[in-house]
Amino acid sequence: MPGDRKPSAINNAAPTNASRTKLNRRKFLVKTGGVLAAGAFGAVPLRGWAADPINIGALYPSTGSMAQIGIGCVAAAKLAVDMVNEAGGIKSLGGAKLNLIVSDVQSDTTVTRTETDRLITGNKLSAIHGCYASALTLIASEVCERARVPIITGSSSDQLNKGRSYTFTPFARASQFAKAQLQMAKLVSEQAKVAVIFENTAFGTSTSNGLKELAPGEGVEIVMFEPYSAGFTDASPLINKVKASGANTLFSLSYLNDLILIVRTVKQVGLDIAINGGSGGFVMPDFYKNVGKAAEGLQGVAHWNHDVNEDAQKVNAEFKKRTGEFAFEYAGGLVAQTFMLADALERAASADPKKVRDALSTLDVSSGYAAMAPGGKVKFGPDGKNVYGRPVGVQWQNADLASIFPKEDARAPLLKT
Amino acid sequence: MWETLAQAVINGLLIGGIYALVSIGVTLIFGVVKIVNFAQGEFVMLGMYISFFLATQFGIDPLVSLVVSMPVLFLAGVLIQHFLIRRVLGPNDMPQIFLTFALSLLLLNLSLMLFSANYRTVHTSYSDEAWHIGGLYIPVAKLIAFAVAMALSGLLWVFLHTTDLGRAMRAASQNRDVAMLMGINPNRVFAVAFGTALALAGAAGSLLMPFYSAYPFVGQVFVLMAFVAVVMGTLGNVMGALVASLMMGVAESLGIQFVGADSGLIVVFGLLLLTLAFRPSGLGARRGR
Repeated sequence: MPGDRKPSAINNAAPTNASRTKLNRRKFLVKTGGVLAAGAFGAVPLRGWAADPINIGALYPSTGSMAQIGIGCVAAAKLAVDMVNEAGGIKSLGGAKLNLIVSDVQSDTTVTRTETDRLITGNKLSAIHGCYASALTLIASEVCERARVPIITGSSSDQLNKGRSYTFTPFARASQFAKAQLQMAKLVSEQAKVAVIFENTAFGTSTSNGLKELAPGEGVEIVMFEPYSAGFTDASPLINKVKASGANTLFSLSYLNDLILIVRTVKQVGLDIAINGGSGGFVMPDFYKNVGKAAEGLQGVAHWNHDVNEDAQKVNAEFKKRTGEFAFEYAGGLVAQTFMLADALERAASADPKKVRDALSTLDVSSGYAAMAPGGKVKFGPDGKNVYGRPVGVQWQNADLASIFPKEDARAPLLKT
Repeated sequence: MWETLAQAVINGLLIGGIYALVSIGVTLIFGVVKIVNFAQGEFVMLGMYISFFLATQFGIDPLVSLVVSMPVLFLAGVLIQHFLIRRVLGPNDMPQIFLTFALSLLLLNLSLMLFSANYRTVHTSYSDEAWHIGGLYIPVAKLIAFAVAMALSGLLWVFLHTTDLGRAMRAASQNRDVAMLMGINPNRVFAVAFGTALALAGAAGSLLMPFYSAYPFVGQVFVLMAFVAVVMGTLGNVMGALVASLMMGVAESLGIQFVGADSGLIVVFGLLLLTLAFRPSGLGARRGR
């Protein structure tokens, strides 16, 4: 809606003039001071002194049940900030460095609310990124909207694109994931017969219903559609049912533990079926460590993959050096997000969160680390959604995730299992 | 159709063997010490973590680590009985309930802190193997687990019926006061019973490790079935618990297969209600202890 944009433009009118003069003075001081002092002391120590660092908030669960991915996100956030700073920081702000302020949201919605509040009130932030998990991100985004601090996130919840003006989602949305999964089923066989098994929780039910609605339009037949109770002791009876359904592709909408049991059981039964494990825990390095060789050939969907382009491969190599694991979707996405923020800061020439938000809303990149996403382009629509965003279909090949779908993003052929 | 049915029964029996190890522990403690151990599932979890760390740190096969997890948990059981349970034994049930419940919460949260909530699996050469017979298949890891579980249950039965200590345990469970008059030291008997029950939980943990993930809440999954089996098989009756556990496993499997994948527990609890309606003291009641 065009109306959404207006209020923020009006609100920004007042502070603009004041901060512009201030910034110009600062810039002037930075330049003259820098030049003068460079002769006397050498330029290096002065660069830190010259420009105030720009505070970027990072909200991730580094303890609690979601900690595993959260810790990886923090590592990626640090890597991204180092990359921006090593490349000279924000040049329009006198080479100002990004300063990452990490906050642990403890995998808890209540803590997320208080931590987001505390982070915003306790620090002069230019922008925030986080929290990867949708349940937490929805809350952090609400707090950010109220405080008028832009938040950029890898979370895929479609709800983040409803009635928000400070929330930016550069990657594919949950609704796009279902469609991609169905289209991938046709890679395996033209006559795609899909068995959908899902845990009987909000996550499983809503995602499976999305698949059911889209299936006829994609020419995919769903031959089995079955909820199960999460946290079972034995997947054999369920797989027995899948076998009886005659499906050639299995969609399993499950959390990690159930999925591991399901995959292992399919292998034990010797069932010849393509498995699509979706996203989340399935496209994490840990999945392969848990499942081992049985994971080879399994398909999934991700919002980012480390082979999408050369920049992504560079990021992957560096991330691997630091953590020992390949850059998973949220990690790589986070590096791209940080560069999107850097691009916005550069154009805003201001650390003011409202101006950063306005600059983000007009972001339009098609090269460099900021554009390192499936589709290769980032431009936000009025709902904060990347108009070019799309998921990438991936497959476990040789203990690594290879992009196989769609054609434009495929970096390896489909491994038929 | 027959193939599917047979497969469902096999699946149920195999997982029922694990339920049996957990429920026999619960029923043994209840029969002898007369308390309900709500923390039994957490000891299964500890058994799993012991096997997990032995496998990842020293490359010891989870099945071999049984010889570590069982004695460690036996010792833990003796100590818990001596220092904690002994103090709350008396006419009042409340302190006992709170004690074992608190123990469960403590172990759960301690392991969350120490091991984090991550799923941990161990990969063995036989983890994904299965024997195929006709159209049926039998997963090797589960078959081994089932066989060892049955062997341990058999050993326990022999112990209870042929050794002095075993007889003393049964005597103490039937009437503590008379047993004391006959010169049986109940504290010693209780300590052995508690230790044995925990050793069985540890065994269940080690046997699960080749095919199931360890995580702090894993015990809760198994303890629920164990309690159902204990009630169905008559409280305190080891053989009853064993038979009921196998039945539960089969009922769950058939429920998932023929009713609905989210209905396994519905069938299990339906069966429990039926049993309670027609044989209120459980299936093992007539045979006595």
